[in-house]
Amino acid sequence: MDLFSNLMLGASTAFLPMNLLYGFIGCLLGTAIGVLPGLGPTATIAMLLPITFGLPPESALIMLAGIFYGAQYGGSTTAILINLPGESSSVVTAIDGYQMARNGRAGAALATAALGSFFAGTVATILLAMAAPPLAAVALKFGPAEYFSLMVLGLVASVALASGSLPKAMAMIVFGLMLGTVGTDVESGTPRYVFDIPELYDGLNFVAVSMGIFGICEILRNLENEQERSVSVKRVTGLMLTKDDVKRIVGPVLRGTALGSFLGVLPGGGAMLASFASYAMEKRLSPNRAQFGKGAIEGVAAPESANNAGAQTSFIPMLTLGIPGNPVMALMVGAMILQGITPGPNVISDEPALFWGMIVSMWSGNLMLVILNLPLIGLWVRMLTVPYHLLFPAIIGFCCIGAYSINNSVFDVFVMAGFSFVGFALSKLRFEPAPLLLGFILGPMLEENLRRAMLISQGDPTIFVRSPLSLSLLVFAVVVLVLVLAPGISRKRDEAFTE
Amino acid sequence: MLKIRNSRDFIGGLTMICVALLFIWFARDLTVGNSFQMGPGYFPVVLSLLLIALGALITVQSIVVEADGSEPETWNAKAFVLVVLGPVGFGLALAGLGLAPTMFLLIVGVATASRYANWRHSILLGLFLSVCSVLLFTRLLSLPVAPFGPWVPLIGSV
Repeated sequence: MDLFSNLMLGASTAFLPMNLLYGFIGCLLGTAIGVLPGLGPTATIAMLLPITFGLPPESALIMLAGIFYGAQYGGSTTAILINLPGESSSVVTAIDGYQMARNGRAGAALATAALGSFFAGTVATILLAMAAPPLAAVALKFGPAEYFSLMVLGLVASVALASGSLPKAMAMIVFGLMLGTVGTDVESGTPRYVFDIPELYDGLNFVAVSMGIFGICEILRNLENEQERSVSVKRVTGLMLTKDDVKRIVGPVLRGTALGSFLGVLPGGGAMLASFASYAMEKRLSPNRAQFGKGAIEGVAAPESANNAGAQTSFIPMLTLGIPGNPVMALMVGAMILQGITPGPNVISDEPALFWGMIVSMWSGNLMLVILNLPLIGLWVRMLTVPYHLLFPAIIGFCCIGAYSINNSVFDVFVMAGFSFVGFALSKLRFEPAPLLLGFILGPMLEENLRRAMLISQGDPTIFVRSPLSLSLLVFAVVVLVLVLAPGISRKRDEAFTE
Repeated sequence: MLKIRNSRDFIGGLTMICVALLFIWFARDLTVGNSFQMGPGYFPVVLSLLLIALGALITVQSIVVEADGSEPETWNAKAFVLVVLGPVGFGLALAGLGLAPTMFLLIVGVATASRYANWRHSILLGLFLSVCSVLLFTRLLSLPVAPFGPWVPLIGSV
């Protein structure tokens, strides 16, 4: 069986002691930082990216993936214990999870989150392993025109599913694409927007940009309304679930996994949307719907399985097509490029050990999280009590050294500082920074494919509508846009985000 | 008389237009070419035009559509200056002072941005982190930066 031999190949990479160790460190660091308030997965990954530079590609990506789901997991822990979601995808977990904790059932809530996540992660990993090769095979037939249309669809869909004003999100994408043009033009070798600064000939460094926009800028926002938190957490006991609990969570976990796996594949979807949608669905379907909001275990099981499934399947478009659907995946694409790997359908055939190793490591990472986190809960709780005024200087210090270490040059530190200002100005004007990062990463690829397509067609723009595949991708993009702009749906979308 | 209903979006839209104009201005020496033979300036200029259109749309919307409930703005200017300029200072001082003193100054400096900062904590944190960063980054990861730079008398290395 093909799938089996592929997974075996992956296991032989992922279970190398060194890679297991890096996966473990990734999970540990990810959880630790995910538990700390005010740092979401995007900022966490941006901040920790520089420490993976020296590693071989497999280990670096395995570690980054570990950081990602570790951060995800840490976010739910704080949501349950102190009603402080570490990141957006665990916002709904806080509703019922915190109530459960107040009723003395914190242990059960944490166990539900861990087991639901693990189950969802396993299913989503298998799904990823099955879906990736055929998708990549299709994508290999893509010409530049199809690629261009696919990226347009990806960018359009990612704004459509994000919250906030559509024109503003589109403006952020375009701004990101424009920032991507800084540096030497690949085709002609002409420097663009470099102002005779030698460091800019390679373009703006995406690690510095994302640390500025996500890491430092988040600190600025947190300092604006700083409040000293007094964290009091009771000792967590009773991690075991009762028979009744198990019976109640089976349905929500299965439904959450299914919904999350589906939504994760969509561009712009991923973990946050999945958790919101599955909570809303359980609230309608569950026989215990009266208990929702008062500590229903279903209200923890469903969103936690959904966000983990979504987090996992959001790797599918990134790994097979090279198209990131959310900012975290954009960072992963950037990390792959830094490691000398061009993300796209060729990765499966050119780097099978890396590809399958990463997939298997997702499963082993999830297993590690379960084993690691339930006993370590006491440690995470203690980390919660670190006051913010000690935390943020450390984060800034770490970001500065991290930016310096990218090219051993202080120029990237200045870029980071500059983009923290840009990010802050944008957040003051209520522009979402996430689409900017997507545009920034995709910009060079988009331009290259556009120019190649136009060269093939000799300047005839109808090439994008003559190929049936490209046409259907573009039509789909237009349909998504129209749907979002249609009044009925945009109201529903607002409801979904405010709920 | 024109009344702006959503001043934040009004400024936001105009900012986008200005950014796009800047990009067009600095692309003035780049060949734009045509759609068959695209020059290096083609893509940025087309994007800038798109951004101008979007900026105009946002600006028009801000005049026509009522703003939905604006929350009060908080503005912590001191934090802003310290946190944005802290890394700039780090970049300027790193080569001269070396990693340990630069890190210490950065930590103690930015820590004052918090309302809850106190000197004793900040200094201890600064000392702790500069020792850690020297051990981790110059010893373990061998970054090419000296713990103490030429500006530090006696112990600094050139």
